[in-house]
Amino acid sequence: MASARTETLGQSSFFRDKILLGMSLGEYLRSLLTPFNLVAAVILAIGVPSLVYRFAAGLGASTNLSQAYPWGLWIGFDMMTGVVLAAGGFTIGASVQLLGLKDFHPIERPAILTAFIGYVMAVVGLLADLGRPWNIVMAIVNAGSASALFEIAWCVMCYTTVLLLEFTVPFFEWLGWKRIHAILKKSLLALTVLSVMFSTMHQSALGSLFLLAPTKLHPLWYTPFIFIFFFISAILAGISMVIVESALSHKVFAHRLEGQPHVDVDKLTIGLGKAGAIVAFAYFFLKLQGVVDGHAWGYLLTGYGALFLVETVGFVLVPSLLFAWGARHAKVKVIRWAGAMAVAGIVFNRLNVSVIAFNWQNPVRYVPSWMEVAVSLSLVTIGVLAFRWICNRMPILWEDPAFADRHED
Amino acid sequence: MTTHDFLGLYDAKVMEYLLALVYLLLFVPMWRFVQGRPQAAEAGADARAQAPAGATAHPLLGWFHVPDGVALHPGHAWARLDADGLVTVGIDEFAQKLVDPEQVRLPATGDVVRQSRPAFAVGDQVVTVPMLSPVDGTVVAVNGAAAHGAGALRDPYGAGWLFKVKVPEAARALKQLLDPAAARAFLESAAEGLSHQLQPALGRVLQDGGVPIHGIAQAVAGEAWAALARKHFLTDRSEP
Amino acid sequence: MNFTRRNFLRIVGVTAGTGLVSATPARASTTDDDTLPGVLVDTTRCVGCRACEAACAEANDLPAPPDGDAVLKSPRDTSQTAFTVVNRTDAPGGGDRFGKKQCMHCLAPACASACPVRALDKKPTGPVTYDPSKCMGCRYCMVACPFDIPRYEYEALAPRVRKCTFCAPRQAKGLPPACAEVCPSGALTFGKRHVLLEEAKRRIYGTPEKFIHKVYGEHEAGGTSFLYISDVPFEKLGLQGGVPEKPYPELVSGALGAPPMVMTLWPPLLMGLYAFSKRREEAEKDAGEKEAHHG
Repeated sequence: MASARTETLGQSSFFRDKILLGMSLGEYLRSLLTPFNLVAAVILAIGVPSLVYRFAAGLGASTNLSQAYPWGLWIGFDMMTGVVLAAGGFTIGASVQLLGLKDFHPIERPAILTAFIGYVMAVVGLLADLGRPWNIVMAIVNAGSASALFEIAWCVMCYTTVLLLEFTVPFFEWLGWKRIHAILKKSLLALTVLSVMFSTMHQSALGSLFLLAPTKLHPLWYTPFIFIFFFISAILAGISMVIVESALSHKVFAHRLEGQPHVDVDKLTIGLGKAGAIVAFAYFFLKLQGVVDGHAWGYLLTGYGALFLVETVGFVLVPSLLFAWGARHAKVKVIRWAGAMAVAGIVFNRLNVSVIAFNWQNPVRYVPSWMEVAVSLSLVTIGVLAFRWICNRMPILWEDPAFADRHED
Repeated sequence: MTTHDFLGLYDAKVMEYLLALVYLLLFVPMWRFVQGRPQAAEAGADARAQAPAGATAHPLLGWFHVPDGVALHPGHAWARLDADGLVTVGIDEFAQKLVDPEQVRLPATGDVVRQSRPAFAVGDQVVTVPMLSPVDGTVVAVNGAAAHGAGALRDPYGAGWLFKVKVPEAARALKQLLDPAAARAFLESAAEGLSHQLQPALGRVLQDGGVPIHGIAQAVAGEAWAALARKHFLTDRSEP
Repeated sequence: MNFTRRNFLRIVGVTAGTGLVSATPARASTTDDDTLPGVLVDTTRCVGCRACEAACAEANDLPAPPDGDAVLKSPRDTSQTAFTVVNRTDAPGGGDRFGKKQCMHCLAPACASACPVRALDKKPTGPVTYDPSKCMGCRYCMVACPFDIPRYEYEALAPRVRKCTFCAPRQAKGLPPACAEVCPSGALTFGKRHVLLEEAKRRIYGTPEKFIHKVYGEHEAGGTSFLYISDVPFEKLGLQGGVPEKPYPELVSGALGAPPMVMTLWPPLLMGLYAFSKRREEAEKDAGEKEAHHG
């Protein structure tokens, strides 16, 4: 039947098997007509032309950026949030490869894939936001090394390369290229060390960016230690994102995982919940310390104070306690909701620092244009679609039996 | 820095150190809360150190504790992969307290058991309730002590083991059952259903670690205890 | 050139010093450099003629500023096409006071330290210059500048950052900036910063009841090339208040010192964790095997 047809088609069998998942082109295209894809198509239909328009007509025509607000949604959300939510790559990678927590291996590859796609999308968002993106190579040629942004540019470049190399391990398993796969697999330990190193550097440097804005960033958020806060919240973001992503992946791809050895995602989620509880708890107190150190407690009674309390108590402390309770009583659903809240809290924090609490004394506030929103949503959508495409084909959520480790996991 | 800023430092520093102190004090209970009761962890570690692995669960922990290495079947039978490659099967503490069996009908050596099919039965002199096997395989050993007396069954994870099975791909089979963390959640919700029907006095007796004669099922449902037990052991539609 | 004995000794001293040290580290802040230029803006002498605006526009190929005094009725800001503006406020005891606003050309500029490609650069001769050919348009300079000076050409397809250039090409030829040269009332004086600073203080303490006892720009952001003296609060003239006195690059240099240390410390730390966890794994495996033999 199907095998006979693949034989007659010959060369295109690779395309059929690997790309079309064994279906004919017609079948495959028909299988794409799902409600989710429809929504995605609508988002992209608005967002992609908006992106084209940005390059055709300039930033002024497509965004609400102004002289008072040079950074908007694309920096605050696509760039900053994209980078921080991709922190799962280094947190889980480190847990498995360096701390020896082999139980988490089944969710290591999806975490690295999320990180890789996240960084690629963040870079695309950055290129959309830059006024003269063709000069981005100048960061390599002219060393503006006194700038945190220079360090970020280099670290993001290096880290994305590391993520790409880590991603090629399942990629070459998919293609069946054994020799190069073996070489890359052996270098995973070194790559993991590098990924933690580069991540520490640029996650914290994204916070250091705002050290140059003591008069513009609201005192409740401005602290000389902001770079430490950004790093710790990146770890929290990594844990939380992996909780959310693994829950969604194992639900969405459940049919593809039939017949595979059962991965106890619930058990791993409980473990992650424990870690999330402790990290979020510490991060909450760190934020308070920042406020005290900056003598800014008086501001807690203002409007911005309320915003700060919502972010810190509502989206850091509450998730921490929910993580703790959920882990203790093995309530996996509670942990997952706490993870989603923590993710929202990190997004909230990055938007507060870069946009909402930025230039806080300016009565005129920045609101993103619909095109900015459309482009940001489109980048997220493309990322999700890419993740799904890859997970449907490559050994990310499952082990390729041809490459399965004999002694490791 | 102005003098005002400088003097403000002292207040701020006091607050900072106090905050750190509060955090450290809260950290200890937070850590312990997240990790679960430390007695449970220690009991599990001790259990592994003893040769016949399996510890008597502390009565105050209720029936929710499942020792490390033990995988639970939703019919309240457990399975444990031993170092010799055989799988030991027994009933969990919940089942033991529910029925407080006076006799156990076990399969014979050489019998074939099937996962989630009735393989053995527990009960009193008159009525027994069937229970499901947690694994597939061939019975290679039977615990004589358990078959004849309720005494051994008071240690359901240790001396109260019922029979040993030779299971093909044992590790994979056990992965399909509930591990201690998931088992705990399962047992908690199973117990919740019962707790609604408990009389206050009975509740206190249980908290002290005591077990009413003839098990809780009898205390709760009287003559209909067997039906209640079958419901929990998932054998309410099976033949006796 | 004024060749005093002081200067001679200084030159000899510097040369000898440079000879001793093989590599002179580039310093972010050069507040003690006596060669840096400055402009003293004495707002009590400004008559609001706005010739400086016109001269600036001509020198930088910008559209001519609007004519007439009507523009002085409401406060204006610099823009992509206006590198300097003059604002009006009330003088004490009636009349007008005017304040000229432009890039302050900080001694340790936040914008230059922020720029990842050195499109904005502090020249040793004083001006903070902008090279659009290097700029990638990240707009971090706009975030960093405490005076909110850099303006962005959002409407262009190849947008540039726009701000006062301190007439660097003119200064290179030994000429003063266009605004200072054209000022008819002596409100703008171009010269060496340290000399102008002392002149500013001389004027303040010469008539102490007239002036506010502060030279704006002496310490703001670690010191700027433009120095202001005034008898009305500086904020009323459109100048930014509350600017920290610490040079801006110093706000970041501590945190930026961390990355090289991370690169040094993380590998041994992480590999140590790896070795530790591997040893524990092996110890557990050994214990398990032993149990299997004995059990």
